[in-house]
Amino acid sequence: MSGLSRRDVLKLAGLGGAALALPASLASASGGGPSVVPPHAVSMLYDATVCTGCKACMSACNATNHLEPDTGLSDGLHQMPADLNSRTMNIIKLYNDPAGSWSFVKRQCMHCLEPACVAGCPFKALEKDRDLGVVTWDGAKCIGCRYCEISCPYQIPKFEWDKFNPRIVKCQFCYEQRLKDGKHPGCTGACPTGAVIYGTRENLLADARRRIAGYPGKYYKDRVYGETEGGGTQVFYLSRVPFSRLGLPSLSDESNPHYATKVSSKIYGWLAGPAIVFALLFGSINRNWKHHEANRRDHEAEGHLPEQL
Amino acid sequence: MSDSVWQRAIPVYEDRSVKKTFIFFTILAIAGTILAVLRMASPLGRYSAMNDFYAWGVWKTFNVMTLTAIGSGGLAVGVAAWAFDRQKLHVVMRTALVTSFLFYTTGMLALMVDVGRPWNLWHILLPWHWNMHSALLEVAVCMPTYAFLFLAFENVPLVLERYSYLGSDATRARIAGLEPVIRKIYPVMIAFAYLLPIMHQSSLGALMLLAGPKVHPLWQTQALPLLYVMAAGIAGFAFVIGTLLVCCLRYSRPLSTDVLGELGSLMSWLTFAWLAFRFVDIAVRGKFGLLLALDKYTAYFVLENILLLVPAIMLRSKQLRETPRILFMAAVSAGVGACLYRLVPALIAFIPARKANYFPSVAELTMTLGFIAAAIVGFKLAIRYFAVLPGPIADWQFAFKPATPKQPKS
Ligand code: SF4
Ligand code: SF4
Repeated sequence: MSGLSRRDVLKLAGLGGAALALPASLASASGGGPSVVPPHAVSMLYDATVCTGCKACMSACNATNHLEPDTGLSDGLHQMPADLNSRTMNIIKLYNDPAGSWSFVKRQCMHCLEPACVAGCPFKALEKDRDLGVVTWDGAKCIGCRYCEISCPYQIPKFEWDKFNPRIVKCQFCYEQRLKDGKHPGCTGACPTGAVIYGTRENLLADARRRIAGYPGKYYKDRVYGETEGGGTQVFYLSRVPFSRLGLPSLSDESNPHYATKVSSKIYGWLAGPAIVFALLFGSINRNWKHHEANRRDHEAEGHLPEQL
Repeated sequence: MSDSVWQRAIPVYEDRSVKKTFIFFTILAIAGTILAVLRMASPLGRYSAMNDFYAWGVWKTFNVMTLTAIGSGGLAVGVAAWAFDRQKLHVVMRTALVTSFLFYTTGMLALMVDVGRPWNLWHILLPWHWNMHSALLEVAVCMPTYAFLFLAFENVPLVLERYSYLGSDATRARIAGLEPVIRKIYPVMIAFAYLLPIMHQSSLGALMLLAGPKVHPLWQTQALPLLYVMAAGIAGFAFVIGTLLVCCLRYSRPLSTDVLGELGSLMSWLTFAWLAFRFVDIAVRGKFGLLLALDKYTAYFVLENILLLVPAIMLRSKQLRETPRILFMAAVSAGVGACLYRLVPALIAFIPARKANYFPSVAELTMTLGFIAAAIVGFKLAIRYFAVLPGPIADWQFAFKPATPKQPKS
């Protein structure tokens, strides 16, 4: 008749503890430490100090990806989206503060080295190419759960809320249209000033560092955004104004997927955690069950009503 | 077997008339279902206010992530009764199992309505298409398996029982043949029936881990999965207590303060454990300072903890937990607190990278409430046709039909 004892609570809590985290990486997740860079990682370097805001890259992007331009803010006259959206995977925005500092910024998918969108996508609709590292979307696998929108730290993937056959829209580095055939992506090819250039990650990182070394103090904190942010990306930014002004979040060097699976990868490695919890549960249940059955048979033999499960 | 006033699950024989509340819930359930069908045949944006910044609305964050917590009674009471041998709880298992089954089912309906490309869901059948790193995959695979295999199995005996009384002799013989099989596999099946929800209830918390800095730091923690599964246990106990109290009062059944007190006591210990984990976690991460912001997050944080702490303390008193009115209020408070804790990191303390707003549309809310109403209607029917609610053995009638009107109660 006694209530639950303290010992039971500890056992109960221990059971929960054994199940700690459990976000289901049945195989172990990426091991930690610096992210792995794919062997032929392609990259873009956007130097905001060079960009003149001509938006040639925007129309090139829509044309290459067969996206109807969003003319919403311009009364249908020309492409003028308010932000990245399901018809815009690349946008040039202007940061302008009253004190006089200003900068253009090009926003698009960062092609993260450890992409959160890929880590969360349940059926591998989003995948990171092993060789080039581009993150692409496959409509044949996507269930439209929009977990990618929840998890992307840059708020990049967009969903076609108004379509019967909705897609996830985000920059895919023109993989299908151009990269596959060895051509440059639409936007870098269109940029007249060279504000955004295409190359390998290794080369562009070196290029960015050279620019910083050549003009000390010109660039914000003498840093390349994307080198380490959120585990590193394949799109780099150089800017005179603080990155946060350009809408680039300040992220730690640990990627979201690494953070999210740190504990679970241990628990779910070889399914050890679930196996232990099951063994504990079954051991105890089986013992109590046998006892229960013995009592039941006695009880029913005495002519009582059949026991209810 | 027990000297409690609850000795057996007994169908509700009386109260056949259709009541106004029942009609209300039925209409709401039908409205929700019609809207759900319309929604499935339309673009997602037409019936919901979700957007690219709040890409998960109330269907996922409330119907799935929150309401399956109150559907965790089958887990909470089951683990207590079978793994920790709390014998006296067996009599309320069916109440827990039926509510769990119904709330999981409605959660899964909401999930179906929520996905934008449901025609690709069949990938779930092909394990080589699974992304093993994804918490959402774990939920998508584990939750239906639990609900439609293990939880359904746990609910089979009460269905068989009805037909072994009402069915023909042949049916009866077949059911009698099934019984030993069920009893043979029962321990393994219920061990799985507790393992799976422990896994997916914690994975629901793990979903928000991947959102990283978008979840307010008071809630964003590696302990999210653990706190989520424990909150499910608390909400599960709370909902079973609440359901028992409401139904027994409504159908004028006597209350077993003994069993109810036990449930209250377990809930209270679990809540203390939860609070301890939560506060230690925040202390270790050094985030208590954030409470000084005195913003809406501070308010939600304080609210969650008070809703949970107060009943936990009150229910340590045997006298209080055996007072139905107090127990009821405590269960409501703890249930709301635990549910709030599950909702907040997914919706309220979820801060997208750009300023944005989300408030569910009328259609969205109607579906959300409609699914809940469907569960209530289902429960009302279940307790009438099956032996679910506990009662004194004297009330047991072999025929499930009210052949003889029950003698009037004093
Ligand atoms: S920026 Fe977002 S969408 Fe692009 S790869 Fe990274 S996580 Fe995925
Ligand atoms: S919406 Fe599609 S691409 Fe995005 S996570 Fe879900 S299944 Fe993957």
